[in-house]
Amino acid sequence: MKASYFGPMGYSQRHLFPATWPIPPSYHDPETSVQSYQEGMTECEFAEEMGFEWVSFSEHHYSGRIATGNPAVMAAAVAERCKKVKIAILGQLLPLNNPVRAAEELAMLDNMTNGRLIIGFLRGTPNEDQVYTMNPAEGRGRLREGMDLVLKALTEPEPFSWEGRYHQFRTVAVWPRPVQQPMPPVIVATRSDDSIKYAADHRLGLGVSFIPVDQMAKVVEKYNGWCQDAGWQPESDQIVYRGSIYLAETDKKADEWLARLKGPTRGMAGPSNVIRAVQAARSGEEFDLRNVIAGSASGDVTGAGPRLSFMGGPDTIVEQMKAFHDRCGAGVMDLFFQQLNTDHREVMNEIELFGKEVLPRIKEF
Amino acid sequence: MTSQAEFKESQIEAEGLAIRYLEAGKGDTIVALDSLTWGMPRLYHALAQKYRVVVLEAPTPDGDGLPKSPKNLAAITAQASASLAPDGYSLIGTSLGANAALWQALQDPEKTQALVLISSIAILPSGGPPETSGSPPVQSLLAHLENAPDLPPLAPSGASREHVLLESLKEASHDAEVESRLGDIQCATLAVFGVEDKMVSSEAPRVYRAKIPNCNISLVYDAGHLIEAERPEALINLVLDFVERRETFIVGRESRVINP
Repeated sequence: MKASYFGPMGYSQRHLFPATWPIPPSYHDPETSVQSYQEGMTECEFAEEMGFEWVSFSEHHYSGRIATGNPAVMAAAVAERCKKVKIAILGQLLPLNNPVRAAEELAMLDNMTNGRLIIGFLRGTPNEDQVYTMNPAEGRGRLREGMDLVLKALTEPEPFSWEGRYHQFRTVAVWPRPVQQPMPPVIVATRSDDSIKYAADHRLGLGVSFIPVDQMAKVVEKYNGWCQDAGWQPESDQIVYRGSIYLAETDKKADEWLARLKGPTRGMAGPSNVIRAVQAARSGEEFDLRNVIAGSASGDVTGAGPRLSFMGGPDTIVEQMKAFHDRCGAGVMDLFFQQLNTDHREVMNEIELFGKEVLPRIKEF
Repeated sequence: MTSQAEFKESQIEAEGLAIRYLEAGKGDTIVALDSLTWGMPRLYHALAQKYRVVVLEAPTPDGDGLPKSPKNLAAITAQASASLAPDGYSLIGTSLGANAALWQALQDPEKTQALVLISSIAILPSGGPPETSGSPPVQSLLAHLENAPDLPPLAPSGASREHVLLESLKEASHDAEVESRLGDIQCATLAVFGVEDKMVSSEAPRVYRAKIPNCNISLVYDAGHLIEAERPEALINLVLDFVERRETFIVGRESRVINP
């Protein structure tokens, strides 16, 4: 099993943010922000030094918790500091973006890293459907067409035009071509059946985030079945799990940290009318505001408890990760260390402890 | 919804053979070589709103006394086309008709002002259509059956036009001679393929682009071999634009202004 350091580049004062989305830009202080990116890149460098084999970035918007609206920009900066690790974009939100532009960024990154790029495709969270004003009902179709177009743009040697349902490009000729031929490894980050099947049919990897091991096992079972139907078997690097982690010297210290937390670990609001409307649209349903009897316009903070995938001392973490390996075949753990209430110093300590006490053992899986 | 043009049926003699054709519309002439297996395509109805469309219903592989070789067939369709449109024409060939259209463009370059190849199976770099024997016949022509709810069901008779066409497609072979002459085609050319065309490997489109001097490739998303059945609006939009603007069709002209 391999470890991947997820670099969210969180704003260091994120614990002061309101528990709603989007975070108003008025919370931004330039000096703090510059320092936060520097600390985030230092964490990536240290993760590489401690034996992590991937660093990953993910597209998220309008929040300093994961401050990488354009993950390719972040990946380019980190790739200059980290010379060995794989650079994984997990992933780009294709429903929101111009797929040809996405393909150009990916191809550049694969060249700039001399073939260290790993590509990921992602639909995005419901709140992010509001970014760039996409109709949520079209998100699934836009993701599907976007994936097809990116793959074609990265592999087609002659210029072509594309007549899609959502995209029309009369000249596509991506330059440079990827260094990795025919294509860098691709992960589809999803839990939905149609995208899992798409990954299997196209011989692509699968990424799953933040769900318990039982649910992950069910997702992977479907994926493996469809891979078998398509006549192939995924390698261990093609099953990636992204999880939140808090690692302490002992289980007791981890429990003490948890007890100190106040409020929701992820700091996100519960469903507002806007999010309900997005979810209804995603399901192909009408959302009629007149039917809402109670509810706020901006979102109700639910005070949800911490949602960590891994927590404890090294022995416990190893055991938890082994379950994902044994039951799900997960070969890569993409780990989100920057909890709301952990600062840079704590994250660096966790990376060091992980590198010394956990990583050598999970590499044996 | 495209208005229905009224196509009138006639005959013309060429090389001593009677060729049936259908005609509608006014304006510059578009000649189409099409088996019309599933009826008159919406594309031709749309084109007939702005152009004179002549559909030579020639390339049916089951005979009518016509030669099976695309090269020999093109000699006949070229003569018929020249008689029907002495000032020249844009030429459209679909599926097997595209093979003959390539030859016709080579044999009569003066008259062929623009060439549109839809789902052409002339160039098969992998040696032939991929194996689709496990698929029901019509499904092997479509990306997704649900994309084409209006497609008439396949006739039960194995001797029907649809079955004959399917068998001919499966037996299609690479036309090395026409490939060697693609560089001689000087008119603006558009080669259109469904992204999920199971009759043509994904390597084929790039051969046209690489070898025909003034050729654009267009890939129609979520369509198989019968693009007309699955993505008719996309095909109409594309072909209309190309026939009107030839190689400049790649220049954007749709306004993106919102609330001026």
